[in-house]
Amino acid sequence: MQSFIPIVLVVVQLALLLALSPFVVGLIRKVKARLQCRRGASLFQPYADLAKLFRKQPVISSTTSWIFTAAPYIVFASTVAAGLLMPVFVSHTPLNFAGNIIALVYLLALGTFFLILAGLDAGSAFGGMGSSREAIVATLAEPAMMLSILSIALTAGSTNLSTIVHQSALMEGVVVAPPAHLMALAALFIVTLAETGRVPVDNPATHLELTMIHEAMLLEYSGRYLALMEWAAGIKLLVFLTLIVNVFAPWGIATSLAPSAIAVGLLVYLGKVAALALVIGVIESMFAKLRLFRVPEMLGAAFILSLLALVFFYTLKG
Amino acid sequence: MIDARPAVEQVQAAFTQAITEVCAVHGVPMLRVKKQDLPTVAHFLHTNPGLRGSLSLLWAVDHRPREARYELCYLFTLAERKDWLLLATDLHGDEREFPSITPHLHAAKWYEREIRDLFGLVPIGHPDLRRLVRHEHWPKGSHPLKRDFPWDRVLGRVQGEYAFRKIHGEGVFEVPVGPIHAGIIEPGHFRFSVAGEPIMQLEVRHFWKHRGVEKLFEQQQLTEAVPLSERVSGDTSVGHSLAYCQAVEMLQGVEVSPRARYLRTLFLELERLHNHIGDVGAICNDTAYALAHAHCGRMKEQLMQLNDRLTGSRFLRGVNCVGGVALDLSGLQLAQVEVELNALEQDFSDIEKIVFANASLTERLENTGILTEGIAWDHAVIGVVGRASGIDRDLRRDRPFAAYDVLQPRVALYRYGDVRARMRVRLDEIHESIRLIREVRRGLPLGRLVSRPMHQPQPGAWALSAVEGWRGEILYVVMAGDAGRIHRCKVRDPSFVNWPAIQWAALGNIVPDFPLINKSFNLSYAGNDL
Repeated sequence: MQSFIPIVLVVVQLALLLALSPFVVGLIRKVKARLQCRRGASLFQPYADLAKLFRKQPVISSTTSWIFTAAPYIVFASTVAAGLLMPVFVSHTPLNFAGNIIALVYLLALGTFFLILAGLDAGSAFGGMGSSREAIVATLAEPAMMLSILSIALTAGSTNLSTIVHQSALMEGVVVAPPAHLMALAALFIVTLAETGRVPVDNPATHLELTMIHEAMLLEYSGRYLALMEWAAGIKLLVFLTLIVNVFAPWGIATSLAPSAIAVGLLVYLGKVAALALVIGVIESMFAKLRLFRVPEMLGAAFILSLLALVFFYTLKG
Repeated sequence: MIDARPAVEQVQAAFTQAITEVCAVHGVPMLRVKKQDLPTVAHFLHTNPGLRGSLSLLWAVDHRPREARYELCYLFTLAERKDWLLLATDLHGDEREFPSITPHLHAAKWYEREIRDLFGLVPIGHPDLRRLVRHEHWPKGSHPLKRDFPWDRVLGRVQGEYAFRKIHGEGVFEVPVGPIHAGIIEPGHFRFSVAGEPIMQLEVRHFWKHRGVEKLFEQQQLTEAVPLSERVSGDTSVGHSLAYCQAVEMLQGVEVSPRARYLRTLFLELERLHNHIGDVGAICNDTAYALAHAHCGRMKEQLMQLNDRLTGSRFLRGVNCVGGVALDLSGLQLAQVEVELNALEQDFSDIEKIVFANASLTERLENTGILTEGIAWDHAVIGVVGRASGIDRDLRRDRPFAAYDVLQPRVALYRYGDVRARMRVRLDEIHESIRLIREVRRGLPLGRLVSRPMHQPQPGAWALSAVEGWRGEILYVVMAGDAGRIHRCKVRDPSFVNWPAIQWAALGNIVPDFPLINKSFNLSYAGNDL
């Protein structure tokens, strides 16, 4: 009986990622609408959108290669796999054996890579522009992300996310250097905005092809391919939010497999993700998008922050 | 009244040989110039430090069947007192060529290409004789504004390709945008040559929705073409219909009553108000600052509903008619207007404060899409765009029409020429419009709404009228034909003048900033394409 639990956990976590991600997208949209004194679309609108897209017949440009049709599956699968490599509401990661935090980062990078290829594949000017911009953002966001996560990994003495989260949830000397912790958090938050295409880096609500980053790469997609891409983008957003809440605020996560602990963990997790989605919605309402060439400066700041987090970790541990 | 007498004398003295006739058309002095001397005279008018004439309009008339001649007219606005001065020249018999003035005046560039396309008259010496209005699929020799071209002829389709200017070099890419866009925008094609993100060249290719508006005018009676003028550019119903009505009233010798003049002012300012507020929101939205967009959208909607309650049309259609206005407003309605606008101004000022306080927004607007005063002057840029680049022109002040001689609007003027300056001109004009509407309510005289015509115009008589619409100067030339019909109606929306300038404003900016620059110009495609 005991041996079934990890399998059940995998299934539950997978279902949660798939089911919750459209809701988070809808929630951010709702927050923005309310802040603009609009009623806004239903929280469940993204589900309806996905359902509609899955039913529609895709139109594929005759100039595309196999990459174009394969990319949505690769992007979707790699993002979901990344989601399974981290603890969500139980500090035990179901696929603990399969990889650590570095694997997670590079699974996401694999998705980004294929997304960039897909943007180029149709040979449209907008796709190319989107891909070139995404490549800049991704290259600059990656080191900042690695460093910020590394500073946490150093504190926990492990690159295994499960161990990191488990230890910090039990408060076993993880937060030795609160300034380092805060800076790493700030860095990871900036990276999250950049990687998931939110304001002030990208505008998910725009119709202006010339300003797009993420949407420009998807312009040629339709039907189920577009649905997979949109869904994967939602899951990626959820993965980043989960990473932030679990690494930096793991309190309440289930550290055992007792049903009560799991129930509490799940509820606390949902609350924390919703709160973070709220924060993103507020930020999107407060700021104009950065001029494109300012984005590297912001990501540079994230890199410096995470570097400082490392420095603080060593000096304060001292 | 001849309002530019010293200038006329100066030009006459300098070109005694070239000028064959001096006359006045409804108070505007007109010099008839020998065809071959036209470029020199135009150059003199443009560059002489005492004149500094800016080309405001260039149009052609086919006088057949009465006379076998084409006439070309050049309208200049002189810098000092914004006086008008007309040059005219004739092409007799089978002459189909005229000397181009474009090598001396950039501003003539599109006008001459337009005349070539629509009349088949060739501007000799023009540096760029690619087709403008007539896209390449129009068959050779189809020039719809010639009098012998039937208005309902269906054209065949031929193959052809527009030769875009190419930039060659390693890493230089072309980005074609439009005419079909992702958003709900009018059709326009923009061809960028980019090296990375910076724009090295932008070429605007428009005229996708040529509806033959000027030809359609020629099928109408003078008194019945108001609905057509309202539809030249849907968002400028009052501006266009007012300019049209004024021209016809001049031809018929109608003295519009003071009450109608005041009401026309009120409607024109209402139109300016809802468009400007919408634009401010749209500019913010293009930087992803959706908050201001949502609120400006709400206020624009309030104003359009107000329009609807006052006139039965959200776009203020059916307000103007030849001789006055078609509907009256009661004292109660005017009081309601003032109450609503007071609340709106308070509301808008709050948004204004938020917008000004937002550093991230200011950072996007400042130094983006700079149109320098020099380039604006060269291209005779007008309206909101011109006033943001230091071009101090506003017809409401310079050549008062409707009730502006009494109301005296204050003109907003900025010199930076960037997106922010264009937004600030709009912000200032919003407050000024509200003030003017209050003044209208205070000073609205009693009187009749529609005045009777004094006489029917002789065939061939024509008049020139100008209105400062919310985008800028709207010019109409209306020439009477036989039996109360229109012989020729030249429509000039300010967009036609300002579109070429956007190509300069975009240079050196990065591609993702172009939509913002475009939105800050917010030019009409329909009004441009006609």
